[in-house]
Amino acid sequence: MSDTPEVELRGIIKDFPGVRALDDVSFTVAPGEIHALVGKNGAGKSTLMHILTGLYAPDSGEILFRGKPHDRLTTAAAKAAGIAIVSQHAKYVPGLSIAENIFAGALPLKRGGFVDWARMKREAAMRLERFGLDLDVTRRMEETSVAERQMIEIARALFADARVVILDEPTAPLPKHDVTRLFGFVRRLRDEGASFIYISHYLEEIFDVADRVTVMRNGRVTGTANIADITQAELIRLISGVDVERYRRPPAAAGAAVLELRGLSRPGHYSDIDISFRSGEIVGLTGLEGSGPGALVRGLFGLEPQGQGRMSIDGRPYAAESPVAALRQRLAYLPRDRHGLGIIGIRSVRDNISLSILAKLQSMLGLIDARREDALVRDYIAHLGIKTPSARTHVENLSGGNQQKVVVAKLAATEPRMLFLDEPTQGVDVEAKVEILRIIDDLSKRGVAVGVVSDELSELMDICDRIIVFYRGRIAREFRKGKDEITTGKLLAAIEGDLMEAQQ
Amino acid sequence: MKRDYVPAILENLIWFILVAVFLFFIFQSPFFLTSVNITNILSAAAVLGILVVGQTFVLITGNFDLSSESTLGLAALFGIWLIVPALAPNWGGGLLLNPYLSIVIILAMGALIGWVIGLLITVGKMNNFIVTLAMLLILRGTMLAFTQGNATSGLNFPPADIFYWLGHAAAIDIPGVVKIPVAVLATALVFVTGHVVLNHRRFGRELYAIGGNKAAAIASGIDADKRIRQVYVISGMLAALGGWMLAGRVASIQVNLGEGYIFTVMAAAVIGGVSLQGGRGTMLGALGGVLLLSTIDRGLNLMKVSVFWIKVIQGLIIMLAMFIDAQRVRYRARATSEAKADAVVSEAGKR
Repeated sequence: MSDTPEVELRGIIKDFPGVRALDDVSFTVAPGEIHALVGKNGAGKSTLMHILTGLYAPDSGEILFRGKPHDRLTTAAAKAAGIAIVSQHAKYVPGLSIAENIFAGALPLKRGGFVDWARMKREAAMRLERFGLDLDVTRRMEETSVAERQMIEIARALFADARVVILDEPTAPLPKHDVTRLFGFVRRLRDEGASFIYISHYLEEIFDVADRVTVMRNGRVTGTANIADITQAELIRLISGVDVERYRRPPAAAGAAVLELRGLSRPGHYSDIDISFRSGEIVGLTGLEGSGPGALVRGLFGLEPQGQGRMSIDGRPYAAESPVAALRQRLAYLPRDRHGLGIIGIRSVRDNISLSILAKLQSMLGLIDARREDALVRDYIAHLGIKTPSARTHVENLSGGNQQKVVVAKLAATEPRMLFLDEPTQGVDVEAKVEILRIIDDLSKRGVAVGVVSDELSELMDICDRIIVFYRGRIAREFRKGKDEITTGKLLAAIEGDLMEAQQ
Repeated sequence: MKRDYVPAILENLIWFILVAVFLFFIFQSPFFLTSVNITNILSAAAVLGILVVGQTFVLITGNFDLSSESTLGLAALFGIWLIVPALAPNWGGGLLLNPYLSIVIILAMGALIGWVIGLLITVGKMNNFIVTLAMLLILRGTMLAFTQGNATSGLNFPPADIFYWLGHAAAIDIPGVVKIPVAVLATALVFVTGHVVLNHRRFGRELYAIGGNKAAAIASGIDADKRIRQVYVISGMLAALGGWMLAGRVASIQVNLGEGYIFTVMAAAVIGGVSLQGGRGTMLGALGGVLLLSTIDRGLNLMKVSVFWIKVIQGLIIMLAMFIDAQRVRYRARATSEAKADAVVSEAGKR
């Protein structure tokens, strides 16, 4: 293997009107390495990748592929040089087979211009096998899992002779076991000589998969290091520029029970769930993907059927018919899928925050009281620290963390008694994460009963009074802060079902 | 901040175009800028405007209502049929119903049609485009079957007076100076009401949310299905109101009354900045679209442009509007990425 880097960017400067997006950025990718690129939203990662793929031209600086300079890099030239990008939302035709997607644009033909289906299937399967992917290529793309799609996409890039594959937050939409599978696939391809640029917010994953890491902040590179030579704390310091402490919530005294579940069962999702959510208490709910907590909170909010069993709020029977009914009982829910269920991107910050409480803002004539609405929105922007040019800015223009705060503001405005949050810090940067945890803590201090569904164990350990672990739809174990010793190891064991098995 | 005026111009482009077109016709024809002509433009815009208001409500939720032109035709026909004798030339039902009652009946009919459409879409989970297209055919077919192709006329038939009042009467008439038809005032009132409902009532805000992201709207506690049924009821009722108005403007109700209107309705809304994807658009913009189309129509008439070419020109104008809309989308996309870049700077500045 030669030592010439696959990619070398030297002194890249890129200006946008009124802002220097990249300031003297240098970045190299060696052959056969997984190079993580991290930084907050807006740090310049995307702009740098746009330059690397030829989408933007740098204002100054050099781009070298395997030592060969490229002056005016076009997207076609970057592709020809072996740069490929696999984005979070893989591009594919859902109704066509895996084989057709692999050969899209270059279907093998028989004489007369007819598609040679047999050859296409054979070759598609062969190509995937070469990368260790054993898939039925006649399956339609929409029937594959997200992880499979991404692996197919990576394989497709490599068929097209890609040498450096950019993975843009590939794991954000993935359940844990698929992440493991994807990483295995990526490592294997690296061992065969392919290089990867791996963009992610999940620091734990970076330590898991990357060989080297480069950190960006405010358009500059703040450091590059071998992953073995750096700690997570150092990495966070490089990313945020300050020492961000983990948000640790002291154990709080729980008040009266708000939402009580007794023997709640939904076939195929969860069974025999008994939980009391208490005022002022934060309860963590975790487990493997599909083990129950996600479906439970969606059901309790009325987005899905909640099954059979007894539910009560403040001692009165509760039927989770619909989100309308849930909100009427002051039960609010922060969805996992922020873009699909959380924000309305093309509407303003104001419209998003006040959306669930418009009825309360109406004056006598049924008109919305603009003064009260504006005041309320201003308060939330200030208190939650939402960074937005104005209340009229469309939410799609904000960073991920600020979008999430807008959703939290919308929920807080309904003055909930019971608040469920499903992966509240997913896809937000380190600082925003701490701020969101602070906001959740604040709400609980004001007497809201809170339930947090999360895969991030350290986060649950930091803010929850109790952590309930689900295994195959049942409550496997409950950890209580102050009473039980809670460690990641113990939680993981419970999540994997060891304790359940041992008891049986 | 620089370039702040660009989005403002892009969002209100319709009014700039309207002024430009107006000036163009003033130079082209000496009769354009006369009280009579302006009244004509507004009168022609009245019925169209009523339909556009209904359509705008539907479009903002991300749905279509193609059926409104048929609802309009059927309402006009049925309303007159209820009040005139059975004999020719007043082909009718011979019920000689009270015209006030007839008006109530056709408005209720319009609402019912909208409600049925809404049910098919929300409960039947059927595609809105196809459902309303089918309804367009069903209603037009009903009209044909009902009349066996005969035209209906109730003109100058005394009990029908109130029926003709909306489309025919002048609210203000100072001979030789100014004449404002009732229809124009009524449409203006409908627009104002539509504007207030969209912007200042919970109902309107929820429609924007549904069109912007239906799943998120539902998760925010909005009963999206109910709102969608409601906008179709509104659209149906307004179409019937338009039918009532149009019945007073034409001498007889032909079975093809309103046919092809839907293209103009859609064009006016889209030219006015209402997005076919839902979630974007204002009543004021839609009004601009209506005025632009009827101004051009009237102006070309005055210039004695052949009717054959008028269709071509209308088509070109719709294309131009879509071109402008595409620019607007591109500008927004760029503004989005720049806004993010700006956010970086402002965060950096705090350090």
